[in-house]
Amino acid sequence: MADTELNVNKKSGWQKINIFKVNSIAPSLVIVFIIMCAIFGGINPQFLSFVNLKTIISGLSVYGMMAVGLSFVVLTGNFDVSIGSIVGICSIVMAMMFNIEGVIMPIPVIVLIGLVLGSLVGALNGFLVTVVGINSVITTLGTLAILRGISLLLANKPALIGNKLYIAMGRGFIAKAIPYSFVYLVVIFIVAYLALRFTKFGRNIYQVGSNANASRLAGIPVKRTQFLAFVVAGFTCGISAFLMTSQAAFAQGEFGTGFEFTILTIVVLGGISLAGGRGTLIGVAVALMIINSIANGLTMIDIPVFWREAFNGIILIAAILIDSIRVRRRELLKA
Amino acid sequence: MDGKSLEKKKSNFKLSDTLILFIALVVIVVVFTAIRSEFFSYDNISTMLKNMVMTGILALGLTPLMIARGLDISFGASISFTGVLMAYLYNLGIGLTFSLIIGVIAAVIIGFINGLLIEKFDLIPIILTLGMMSILSALGLVLSKGQSISMLTDPLYYFATKTFLKIPISLFILIIFIIIFWFIMTFTKVGRTIYIIGANPKVATLSGIKVQKVRILLYTFMGLAAGIASIVMVSMTGVGNPLAGAKMALPVLSAVVLGGISLAGGAGSVWGTIIGVLIVSVIFNGLSVSNVPSYFIQVFQGLALILIVSLYEIRNQRAARR
Repeated sequence: MADTELNVNKKSGWQKINIFKVNSIAPSLVIVFIIMCAIFGGINPQFLSFVNLKTIISGLSVYGMMAVGLSFVVLTGNFDVSIGSIVGICSIVMAMMFNIEGVIMPIPVIVLIGLVLGSLVGALNGFLVTVVGINSVITTLGTLAILRGISLLLANKPALIGNKLYIAMGRGFIAKAIPYSFVYLVVIFIVAYLALRFTKFGRNIYQVGSNANASRLAGIPVKRTQFLAFVVAGFTCGISAFLMTSQAAFAQGEFGTGFEFTILTIVVLGGISLAGGRGTLIGVAVALMIINSIANGLTMIDIPVFWREAFNGIILIAAILIDSIRVRRRELLKA
Repeated sequence: MDGKSLEKKKSNFKLSDTLILFIALVVIVVVFTAIRSEFFSYDNISTMLKNMVMTGILALGLTPLMIARGLDISFGASISFTGVLMAYLYNLGIGLTFSLIIGVIAAVIIGFINGLLIEKFDLIPIILTLGMMSILSALGLVLSKGQSISMLTDPLYYFATKTFLKIPISLFILIIFIIIFWFIMTFTKVGRTIYIIGANPKVATLSGIKVQKVRILLYTFMGLAAGIASIVMVSMTGVGNPLAGAKMALPVLSAVVLGGISLAGGAGSVWGTIIGVLIVSVIFNGLSVSNVPSYFIQVFQGLALILIVSLYEIRNQRAARR
């Protein structure tokens, strides 16, 4: 009991502690990233070529958006394993909008439909978790299956996208060097970072995640905050779906399958604590670079594709081990 | 004395729960039979029961683990990997018995590693086993180069196809599993210990129970269940398939949760799990027999999972309010 009270006092004085500087994992991640680039570049100099760097950067955005969304959910102490399926269903619905016979839908409307659909699914997850009270893993496991099934059912017809402008929105470059998609990603990252850092909603997310009970006692709308985190995750999945369909120029029911695992690896590696309430998007950004470059680098140095998944698994386990050790050390320091 | 009366109350409560599930099962069976009379034929029922063996073994392994607040979702990948390993070793000429034993031992070791890491480093079970899952499925793919390895032998074929008293032989494995688990969970000290850990791990630790050790043991047991399920899988398909277990997680978890096990631990029973497995199998088989596309079945499984858990949750909240 005493411990809880102490926490409330500490947390209410927001200025006194700076979650963003304490135990930041970002510097060590940057070092890991540099070493990794050196190794890949040493084995295959092509890895560091301009063309390949462009490929890596263009590939960041789909995962990056989802990583931002999932960070919100994990920060509040929940999980969302349905994000891959949300991307799947948004993709297929958006592609279908291009193929309605006799109707030409304007692009903004289609994008909006995708984003709204993603947010609605996120809201459904949030409703089941906060109002009905089901464990978030079970909830999203269920919606994962449902959404995937629906997308596969919808995708019985080929859903090609012929709209040049729409395709250019995801594939285009500024000055032939910076992909548009990267710009969107940077914008989303900055907005999300500022929201987490400076708004009441952002603070609530951290407080709910670090101690839900204390937050409720302090008058923070715990359920609403958790619910909104799921909506944010769904929304970012909508953006990812827009980018994927635009870059691929078609959609199929399998889009996004298994993404949840990669995204979770990125988020955890980025230092977002699975216990909730700790971590920043800066770490997530570096982790995103690392995971994406590994996938690219392993291909560049001719390691069979089957190993990639094993690599991700090892990184995930290493990341949660580090997370656990850090949490333990923090608790020791507290005591 | 107080504890005893509490226990009695609890067991009554569980019985009624299981009864409701049983009634649901009967209703589902009747509905499917009405839709399609083939559903209730001997052939279909025996096929369904055969397919149920694997889900059943896994769900049973998961039952005590989840009661004690653990969780393992790497079992599907473990099945794929050990299946491939068995077939690979068999094709090296090691001999059937040895390759099966080595496969099962590998699965047990995987379970042990899961338990050790989760308990010693206080990790969140679902995340660690998710990582383990991807490592194992990758290893299975590497070992088999992405293709199924054939493993056709007389004993395994016999095991998968022959019947005794018109009951498929493989079903006896499940029955043995059920009896063992039921006995352990109901009548032994270990079973009670598991329930105590699930109800309140802190109290369990304070009262001298070695929580970590028990849980590691349960993870290891889950590994054993995966190994045996892997043998069943190989015997039924005749191949070690690196993707064989990829879709096992949802049906098994649905079955377990349907049977009344909550992720919060402490609740659930072997019989509940068995009925959960039966319901999942009946739904799956019934929809397949009724020619429903497999995507719909997936949707249905997800819906069933969310619906049932919602009902449990709403009832629990009501009970808590009272």
